[in-house]
Amino acid sequence: MRKWILPITIVCIISGLLLSLQFKAQASLSPNPIGERNEALVSLINNLEQEIDQYQENLNNLRAELDKIENSTVSGQAEIEALQQEIQKARLQAGLLPLKGRGIKVVLDDNQAGLKAAPNDDPNRYIIHYENILNIITELKLGRTEAISINGQRLVTPSEIRCVGNVILVNTTRLAPPFEITAIGNPDILEEVLLYGEYDLLKSSGFPVSYTKHYSDNPVEIPAYSGTYQFKFTKINE
Amino acid sequence: MNKKNWQIPITIVLVFLGVLLSAQFQTQARVLSDLSMQKTEDLIAMVRNLSDKRMQLERELRETQTKLRDLRNSTSDEQNIKNNLLAELNRLKLINGAVEVKGPGLRITFYDNSPILYVDIVSMINELWAAGAEAIAVNNVRINVHSSFFYTETENDMFITLNHQPLSYPITITAIGDPNTLEKGLTLPGGIIDNLALFGAFPILERKEEIIVPAVETPPVFIEAEIAKKP
Repeated sequence: MRKWILPITIVCIISGLLLSLQFKAQASLSPNPIGERNEALVSLINNLEQEIDQYQENLNNLRAELDKIENSTVSGQAEIEALQQEIQKARLQAGLLPLKGRGIKVVLDDNQAGLKAAPNDDPNRYIIHYENILNIITELKLGRTEAISINGQRLVTPSEIRCVGNVILVNTTRLAPPFEITAIGNPDILEEVLLYGEYDLLKSSGFPVSYTKHYSDNPVEIPAYSGTYQFKFTKINE
Repeated sequence: MNKKNWQIPITIVLVFLGVLLSAQFQTQARVLSDLSMQKTEDLIAMVRNLSDKRMQLERELRETQTKLRDLRNSTSDEQNIKNNLLAELNRLKLINGAVEVKGPGLRITFYDNSPILYVDIVSMINELWAAGAEAIAVNNVRINVHSSFFYTETENDMFITLNHQPLSYPITITAIGDPNTLEKGLTLPGGIIDNLALFGAFPILERKEEIIVPAVETPPVFIEAEIAKKP
């Protein structure tokens, strides 16, 4: 009779401890008493993102249509044809056309395994931060990249890479790990600039990072920029 | 018989423990980048940025629709077509930095005693774009998506390079945009100015009514990339 009392007591103590731990973690998931307000903000963000997706799709369609009309009207008129060619070249430079070519793909992910092995450590040491991405982009540019995208977001001149809290944003669009950086350029040169910088640091700190080189038989593709360009304060200096 | 009796509870404990531990790990892993885990003020900042973006998209959608309508209505009028194409080309020139531009903005100056690295210049430019900058130059060289920053060493000196050319001090970053918004973007608590101060770098910020940003020196060339036609 008595024999099972001791084990059951131990069982209850341990499960009690674990349960309380779990609840604590759960409680910290909804971080503050104004959790409800956060709920509202999160759903607002989700709605805005959906609307933005819709707008961007519409804008892309309109831009494609514009492209078609501008390239098809009155051929045979030399002046207009020259203009059309110049516009196409300018669109290429502006990141408004999807591109493909030789290049490199770099994948960065959070170090989940490292965090599991050291659950009491600061979790911030095990996630990819926007600085890591910014540094790799900066290094890739040294290898003469012709176009870069991160998780499908084309980088253009005013593109920013930043974080709000622990969320990484590029072109104001929320990105989630794993982060896939795609660049068009000479794959061997890009490999070289990649291997002696931030990528190497991440790798030696245990982050699951990898890259693949892509040659003409297996080119990378980079989408067009789907955002806007804004000039509210800028005037041409004449 | 008695020996077997305690095996069942222990098994249950261990199974339970396993389940709880894995749940615990999952919670940990998911917590950090989950939207609901962010601070209220961060969420508010995101809402604000997204609303701005939606507004800009709305405006550009309207403009593009008008452009399309004008083009469709003018298919027979060559002068009209030419005007529309010219207007489009001018806008693209503005986007590509192919023309010199001016506007209000912010000037940031690092004097030669500033202990800064090339990554600090990259961060500064990144923050300026995030704060809504419309055109940026460093030491009067226009920045675009292809601009590259690094460093070079001589016997007793180190230089930050822009497009492989050493930058001489004072290093001046000029950005066109709303001067107040640009300045706020840099000086918010824990922002880049605070960070630089930790390393003993104190750039001078000046709001300007007019800043002139030159055109890009060499337009980008595309050797590897070709236009990917949509299927």
